[in-house]
Amino acid sequence: MDVLTEIAWKLRYNYLMRFKVTEMTPSIRLFAILLCCCCIGGSQVRADSLVFSTHWLPQAQFAGYYMAQEKGFYKEAGIELELIHPPANVNALTYLSEGKADIVSLFLVTALDARLQGLPLVQIAQMSEHSAILFVAKRGGRVQTIDDFGGSKIGVWKSGFAEVPKAMVQARGIRAEWVPVLSSVNLFLMDGIDLMTVMWYNEYNAIYLSGVNEEELHTFFLSDYGYDIPEDGLYVSAQTLREKKEALTAFTAASLKGWQYAAAHPDETIAVVLERMRQAKVPASEAHQAWMLEKIIELQGFRESSDKDISLPKEVYDKTLRILLPDPEGSSPPAFDDFVKTLSLPSK
Amino acid sequence: MLHKNTLSFRIVTRVLGITALLFVLTISGYYYYTRQLIRQAARENAIQLAGNIAGKVAQQLQPMEKIPQMVSASLEMGFFQPDSLKSITKKILQENPAIFGAGVAFEPNILPGRGRFFMPFAFRVGDNIQTAYLGGLDYEYFLMDWYQIPALTGQAYWSEPYFDEGGGNALMITYAVPFYLPNDTGRQLGGVATVDVNLEWLTNIVSEVKIFESGYAFVLSRNGMALTHPDKAMIMNESIFSNAENWNEPLLREIGRDLQQGNSQFRAYNLKDRGQRWIYYQPLPSGNLSLAVVYPDAEMFAPLKRVNTLLVFLILLGLLVMIIGVHNMVSRTARPLVHIAQSAREIASGNFQTPLPDIRSKDELLQLRNAFEYMQQQLELYIARITETTAAKEKIESELRIAREIQMSMIPHSFPPFPDLPQIDLYAVLESAKEVGGDLYDFFQLGEDKFCFAIGDVSGKGVPASLFMAVTRTLLRSIADKYPRPAAIMSELNKSLSLNNDSCMFVTFFLGILDLKTGELAYSNAGHNPPLIITQSGTVSFFPKATAIPLGLMEDFVYPESILTMQDGDKIFAYTDGVSEAENAKQELFGEEAIMSLVQKSTTGDPRQLIQTVKKALEKHVEDFEQSDDITMLSVLYDRRSK
Repeated sequence: MDVLTEIAWKLRYNYLMRFKVTEMTPSIRLFAILLCCCCIGGSQVRADSLVFSTHWLPQAQFAGYYMAQEKGFYKEAGIELELIHPPANVNALTYLSEGKADIVSLFLVTALDARLQGLPLVQIAQMSEHSAILFVAKRGGRVQTIDDFGGSKIGVWKSGFAEVPKAMVQARGIRAEWVPVLSSVNLFLMDGIDLMTVMWYNEYNAIYLSGVNEEELHTFFLSDYGYDIPEDGLYVSAQTLREKKEALTAFTAASLKGWQYAAAHPDETIAVVLERMRQAKVPASEAHQAWMLEKIIELQGFRESSDKDISLPKEVYDKTLRILLPDPEGSSPPAFDDFVKTLSLPSK
Repeated sequence: MLHKNTLSFRIVTRVLGITALLFVLTISGYYYYTRQLIRQAARENAIQLAGNIAGKVAQQLQPMEKIPQMVSASLEMGFFQPDSLKSITKKILQENPAIFGAGVAFEPNILPGRGRFFMPFAFRVGDNIQTAYLGGLDYEYFLMDWYQIPALTGQAYWSEPYFDEGGGNALMITYAVPFYLPNDTGRQLGGVATVDVNLEWLTNIVSEVKIFESGYAFVLSRNGMALTHPDKAMIMNESIFSNAENWNEPLLREIGRDLQQGNSQFRAYNLKDRGQRWIYYQPLPSGNLSLAVVYPDAEMFAPLKRVNTLLVFLILLGLLVMIIGVHNMVSRTARPLVHIAQSAREIASGNFQTPLPDIRSKDELLQLRNAFEYMQQQLELYIARITETTAAKEKIESELRIAREIQMSMIPHSFPPFPDLPQIDLYAVLESAKEVGGDLYDFFQLGEDKFCFAIGDVSGKGVPASLFMAVTRTLLRSIADKYPRPAAIMSELNKSLSLNNDSCMFVTFFLGILDLKTGELAYSNAGHNPPLIITQSGTVSFFPKATAIPLGLMEDFVYPESILTMQDGDKIFAYTDGVSEAENAKQELFGEEAIMSLVQKSTTGDPRQLIQTVKKALEKHVEDFEQSDDITMLSVLYDRRSK
């Protein structure tokens, strides 16, 4: 059972039954009250109190932040952190625009696209170092090589993140039918589509854990075709950066410490991730989260020996901009330095 | 009580060994075959159980498939109008209590004036049925698997099961059938008709299944997801494929894939720390579900192990009882043997009247007892006879002792014999091999100037020889008185001995008569070993060999006579063949050469010293070997100078 289908079904019935505040569980009520405080209080919130929203439901993709919280790294850094996850149908961007979160994690393309749309957000840290997106096709199916992409049905996330794979296909002059999917891989498994964009750390393994062996799949990693656009990064509004720079720096440093810890203690980390997923009533498979943690840590380039580099190279920024603005005439994209405000962290 | 050296110990250990071996073989065989049977039974049970559940699934889910198929067909044929669908779906729920929700989802914008979303839907809220139109930006139903998959594949689709919180947190499954509507060019996808079915009944049936201690059944979705599981944390979280990774058991993945192929099989797999498990799996006839029945190998045999433990305990108890029983029986049987053994000891110590134990059984023991009794009687008789014989023998021996004394008293044995005859020194010994013997020596004075000495050896030994010797000795004394010359004495003696000598006994005899004044020695030898003459100057020589036959053989034989003159200091050494033919253990004779060399070495000593020297050498030669013949030696020294 995939996450979105379940959420959608929840919604399908909850929608009909009318959501009543009195039926909220105590934790949700507390969360709601806190949200209200954030919205109303705004600038009254103490500088060391931060709200951080991930861009997806709880999973090992955010393990470093959980471990920083579990191990008290945020507290040590003098930060009162609230870590929230948006529901599957809500884009974390809206939390940022509505002031519900001080910091959000976003894909680089999503964030830059929002900036191009006029949202005044800036990047304070680029966490992932490489692209994790790939196309998969079943061996023996319609698509065997990249030349077969033309005329095929390609599943692509409805919720975004599709800019880079679409750009890659379009740049090759391939015409394909893009089929929006939520996050389930069932349509691919049932041969409703020929190809599907998947995350190496997530859906790829979900397909494997649905009984499809690796040798039964063709993979087309975007990074192999010149589209190595990294994903996860941390973003804040320009205003928050001005007002809470110190706290944001402390948060980022503590988060990195959390990631280092997660990299060094995978078993403990997976247990924490699974517990958080259960609390959020999100299906949680140990094997899947173990895979995800391993791949995320690989992608983020955490090494015990050296400090992690959280800066975004300018050429990657430029390339991302070209993908989002293939025709720059008439538009005025932000300068690299206006968008990328990498925090300088105290070195170890 | 069970000593190692008892009969019962030996019997008990052997019987115990054999019995225990038989038991071990029997139990092992029994255990092995029972295990096979149990395994077979468990297998059949699992298959039957899965069959039952499959039957129920077919009964419950297959009719569900008909409803959206029918709705779909009716829409395609124009029997249903979109506006009527709300009441139709409500009617479906009213008619089918097993259906939780039913709906018809149309393609975006396909119905004029209905906008992007149109999905009439009926669903249950408690006991009531409510209807609504679903769809909106919050709920873009055409992105859902249940819509998208049948829409894109053109095939009816059983969704992956899901938990529905609105529906009471029950496990639900949706069956969706695409339908097509006519358009300008032909027909196009119109949408998807669905029913939502609660799977609680299935999870209930399956959850109740308990096989042995911890065996269970569980339902899997097409993707291998656990829909039921005794470990609640597994349900809708882990799949057979993720558990293959979690538990590092690739066989589970193989099983999952085999199930996706629609196969059913019975297999074993191993889980670390959990041991071997058996799994039977088969696809269920509807809903794209599969059923697996799992049970641990070890638990399957738990009752058997309990029975075996009891059995082993009983057998051990039985063996103990058997040991005690056999021991008692054998001890009781063998107890008379102990008594017989005691009696035998008593008998051996001479108590022949010792009573033997009473034996009532008529078996070998009785035979043994009777044999013992017979032996006891025979021993008693034998001992009585022996006592008698011994007494008789002792009498004979005592008589022989007396005879010996008499015989010994017949020969002179005081040395020096003639203190009045200083010219003569003489020493002699006679040692009979038996109580009485046939050797003899004698010496006596004949008149004023003559000295007679003789040595002889009677043929044979013992009493006859001693009697013959006595006769010879007596005759010698009486004849010597009448005849002065040795040849005459010998002839007379021969004549007398030959007379009535029916037993053909004879005697070798050497007789010498020494003239004490002149030293002239007249002698006659009747078949006797030639004596030695030792001159004063130290030369030693044998007398000439006897040419005459022993006495007692031929009555008329005329014995010759020789003469030899002894000088002062000359010695004569005479002996019987008991000396020269004395044997040692190696059957080596002492020999005349030994006598000669001995005598040569001791020419200077007196007769006593000479005889003692020869005797010592003889004893040394013979050592402990039994003396077989009489030993007689006689030595005479003639020396007129001695005063």
